[in-house]
Amino acid sequence: MCSAHATVRGFLGELVARADNDRHVIVDMEAGLEHLSRGTGRHLSRLVAVLEPYYRSMETARNVVALSAELGIDDVVVVANKVRDAADRDAIAEFCAAHGMRLVGEVPFDPTLTQAERQGGAPIDLVPGSPAVMAITRLADVLTA
Amino acid sequence: MRLAIAGKGGTGKTTIAGTLARVLARSAAPRQVLAIDADTNPNLASVLGIAPQQAQAIVGLPRSLMERRTREDGTTHVVFGADPESVLREYGAIGPDAVRLMVMGKVGHGGAG
Ligand SMILES: Nc1ncnc2c1ncn2[C@@H]1O[C@H](COP(=O)(O)OP(=O)(O)O)[C@@H](O)[C@H]1O
Ligand SMILES: [Mg+2]
Repeated sequence: MCSAHATVRGFLGELVARADNDRHVIVDMEAGLEHLSRGTGRHLSRLVAVLEPYYRSMETARNVVALSAELGIDDVVVVANKVRDAADRDAIAEFCAAHGMRLVGEVPFDPTLTQAERQGGAPIDLVPGSPAVMAITRLADVLTA
Repeated sequence: MRLAIAGKGGTGKTTIAGTLARVLARSAAPRQVLAIDADTNPNLASVLGIAPQQAQAIVGLPRSLMERRTREDGTTHVVFGADPESVLREYGAIGPDAVRLMVMGKVGHGGAG
């Protein structure tokens, strides 16, 4: 086993196991779930699979959901991102329904994020009232409930 | 709440994770928000609003934090040997709204372990 990955997993496991009501922990994963071991998975309260309205992204999310279940994460939800229109929304809803994935929210496609990125800063500071930031703000309630 | 965010590269994991961290830090204070960047190509810092100079100064976790232990039956296993809270203090960065950021992916490379 690569010990760099072992360090990451070990720390995540320790930290997540100890996190209590005084602290929220949000882990921004890489595309795969390499850093998650069974032990760590059990200590997460929830896994959020983000997907975009195109097939390969939805397929990856489906794999993530399946793998999460194997890792012992009970609560796995899906958030749709970069949704442009009703067709996008329908495609995602249909895919999730077909595969038993629990879709809990969506973030619209929002070009102002590019603006924030160009300036190298936080969307919440640079484009606070933007549709995407507003949607993520609403999502916070859903995801912490 | 202990949340992991996953999905295909480019779908918006970091945008959602970072913005969510800031939103929660404001609404759940004094509860602390710890944001962990577990990507090998870390970029959560900028979405959190941490300045590039500060982000560049963040060092990843050294592999020496893993220790080999011997079990009673003589077999060995590798465990995380340090106290996570002191590791957080030493390696974590504090960003706007007091979000604490830990970067995992920058773990130092070396021989295969
Ligand atoms: N809702 C959105 N609308 C438009 N662009 C977005 C949206 N969410 C993310 N992006 C952009 O997509 C790119 C990838 O986002 P990022 O959060 O880095 O994805 P990941 O962490 O999954 O690789 C970035 O350029 C980001 O600004
Ligand atoms: Mg990312």
